[in-house]
Amino acid sequence: MDQEMINQLMADKAGAVQAVVSEIGSFDEAVAYTVALARTKAYETVAAPGLDDTQLSVLAPACQAGGLTLLESPLYDQAQQIHAALTAADWGIAETGTLVLKSASEDIRLATMLAEVHIAVLAESRIVPDSAAIAGHLNEILMDDSPSYTAFITGASRTADIERVLAIGVHGPQELHILIHKGD
Amino acid sequence: MTKTAQDIKSYKKQLKEALADGFLRSALDKFNTVYRENRPNVYAGIDFEGLRDEIAAGKDAALPQLEDLFADFKAKAEKAGAKVHRAADAQQANELIAKIAKESGSRKIVKSKSMTAEETFLNHHLENEGLVVTETDLGEWIIQLRKEGPSHMVMPAIHLSRYQVGDLFEKVARRDLDSEDIDTLVKVAREQLRPAFLEADMGVSGANFAIAESGALGLVTNEGNMRLVTTLPKVHVALVGYDKLVPDLESALRILKVLPRNATGQAITSYVTWIKGANACSVADSGTKELHIIFLDNGRLSLAADPVFASSLRCIRCGACANVCPIYSKVGGHKYGHVYIGAIGLILTLFYHGAENDRAIVQNCINCQACKEVCPVAIDLPHLVKKTYQAVLKAEGKKPVKNHFLARVMKNRKLFHFLLRKASLAQRPLSKGAPMIRHLPHFFEKAHGFRSLPVIARTPLRDRWQAIKKPVASPVLNVGFFGGCAVDFIYPEQAEALVDLLDDHGVNLEFPMEQTCCGLPALMAAEEETAADLALQNAAAFDVDAYDYIITLCASCASHIKHNYGKILDDATDAGRRAAAFADKLIDFSAFMQNVLKLQPQAFEKSDQKVTYHAPCHLCRGLKVVDEPRQLIETSGADYVASKDEDVCCGFGGSYSVDFPEISAEILGKKLDLVEQSGADVLVTDCPGCVMQLKGGLDKRGSKIQVKHLAELLADQKKKTE
Repeated sequence: MDQEMINQLMADKAGAVQAVVSEIGSFDEAVAYTVALARTKAYETVAAPGLDDTQLSVLAPACQAGGLTLLESPLYDQAQQIHAALTAADWGIAETGTLVLKSASEDIRLATMLAEVHIAVLAESRIVPDSAAIAGHLNEILMDDSPSYTAFITGASRTADIERVLAIGVHGPQELHILIHKGD
Repeated sequence: MTKTAQDIKSYKKQLKEALADGFLRSALDKFNTVYRENRPNVYAGIDFEGLRDEIAAGKDAALPQLEDLFADFKAKAEKAGAKVHRAADAQQANELIAKIAKESGSRKIVKSKSMTAEETFLNHHLENEGLVVTETDLGEWIIQLRKEGPSHMVMPAIHLSRYQVGDLFEKVARRDLDSEDIDTLVKVAREQLRPAFLEADMGVSGANFAIAESGALGLVTNEGNMRLVTTLPKVHVALVGYDKLVPDLESALRILKVLPRNATGQAITSYVTWIKGANACSVADSGTKELHIIFLDNGRLSLAADPVFASSLRCIRCGACANVCPIYSKVGGHKYGHVYIGAIGLILTLFYHGAENDRAIVQNCINCQACKEVCPVAIDLPHLVKKTYQAVLKAEGKKPVKNHFLARVMKNRKLFHFLLRKASLAQRPLSKGAPMIRHLPHFFEKAHGFRSLPVIARTPLRDRWQAIKKPVASPVLNVGFFGGCAVDFIYPEQAEALVDLLDDHGVNLEFPMEQTCCGLPALMAAEEETAADLALQNAAAFDVDAYDYIITLCASCASHIKHNYGKILDDATDAGRRAAAFADKLIDFSAFMQNVLKLQPQAFEKSDQKVTYHAPCHLCRGLKVVDEPRQLIETSGADYVASKDEDVCCGFGGSYSVDFPEISAEILGKKLDLVEQSGADVLVTDCPGCVMQLKGGLDKRGSKIQVKHLAELLADQKKKTE
């Protein structure tokens, strides 16, 4: 499979579990996407843990201009106010449409668990075809002696506990948006 | 609290109540159908059988080294800041968790779903210690509010309707709800449980994998509550059975390929979480989470060394054995398990919750093999259920009257056959000369009146043999004929059809008179010693070397002889080797006719009869003979019309239909509805037991559909040669 096919598989499989997948050309587009989505839903806050300073320097003014509060670390005390979360994804697994997020940072965990919507930016070069291809990366994390919390996220939170009817958004985010970034 | 019947009488009463629950019946029936229909799509492009053999081998290799794996896990996890404990039994685990709560100043506890915590009745213990426990998985929360146990290992509240959940949630939310709309109900859980997560001092979870090599836990979930349970509170306790230890990540990823597919039909669940050590936690004074991992023994370590039952520890709790079970789909999980549910529950209950909780439920297996076929770790569930029943009887030191009778009569062929002949005489007043008994004496009628019963033949096959046999001087094939009790004493005409079909194929068919019951009824009643005795008698009755094949018209006899003779007899003994050779030569009717004799359509008359098929459990799953009977129907010149669910059990199961007549009747009823929907004139199958059940049910319905053994269809259609 070439990268084009892997990307397509990733988009198809994620789409099949109700994730919304888009391609973006630059990080600026991810910011614009996040702000627009948050405004459509009348959200008031954005949490964006794990972004670097350059990325934050784009996001912060955009939030301000959009009337959104960009929540600051630590998120724990604002746990009930997290509306949208914007994070990077460390890898994508195409065969199941899965995102892999290194979540040792508590802020990343809180943002991706408590937000109403989660928007994840995934670099095309980080999409692998299948779980066998992720095993090496994951094992490197797990074999390290330091604590870690690694999340495979596939679509939005779901349940079928009442009459086996699928319902989205029971405890975790009610929507998952994946923005695939062409390039690194 | 879970209340499982501890005697067969009250169990049967409970079963009747369950059968009367209309919602439960239709919900589970639909689930059973949908699950089976979706399954092939879910496994498209995956070598399920190859994968499950690999997983089973991996699990088996791990079992003798659980202590070593535990030691590796502990060293690695503790290096990353976790505290690893072991608990010898449920009580110890519960006390340890209560102690951790007290020492960490925790009062409010949130839980994610854990069958292991259900096993130890953890909530009950913690609540008695004054702690507040909130289940946060939606299904678990529902049953906690209702003070019930789970009715399915994956979908704990599958027995409830949206309206029942709606009524419950209206009380919790203190407002009117539109119960029709499941999304509304789900949002109630989201809104009501958020505060519980945020206020909790301690989170309790289970785990699907404990990876020895790295000391990491793997958790497979959908709702996202487990992520909150393991993140928000300052303390996390994971309660893990020793059986969840795997050597490495690769083993865990291999299981992850089948677990969600088998459990919920997903390629992967929404969340798979890998937790190693004490992660950052700002609410903890130290800034890091207090992580306790408790490994529960509760009988697992001795089970791992058990020569018979060790494979039950392969179980990954996917719940599929319940999903495909025709009995589960009629009575639900509260009546089909104690804490663990489905076929695996009938087994594990003995080891984790004692013989008293298993003695009634363990008898409720029809041996249809549906669970065995879908088990992702290749546990021979029906076999182990019978072994468990045997162990229960042994543990209790007393046997039902039926067992004493079976052991005494069956071992003595002459006595057994004498009684069958007597039964033929005794039945005559009931049958009034007809081939069926349509009305039983009033005493039996209520539960057993769902089918007409066949009469015992006036002249059994063994007495007709001299007259019907057609010896061949220089045969192409020498074939022994294993009749089985049903053909010998009830349906000798099926044997006559066989003799007729073999005519002009150069087959010399012999019927050794010393043969007796195959032994399956004895094994079903957990009388293994009697079953072994019968196996030896049959092996001795046949001069195995003289035959190219030994044919039988009975799928159940065939499957039992092929698969169980080797298990119940020691193949290191001469007798055991003879029985194995006997089993090797044995072949079922359809495979013999299609693959050995290769019947040709030219030999049969064309017919416009519509013929549908019932696939006997012991043929399609037991012997994996699937296409042959259908090809033979085509060969017979008839018009084959498929019914839905041809491979689903007819509800016979030998003595099962006598022991649990109401369930047998329900399973049969569904089967016959589907047969009637096919529009067929004739229903064909290739097991006399199924013929008995299907014929009896259709007769009782007053249906015009004829029921025939496939041999009879072929013989009827065979061109007559002068």
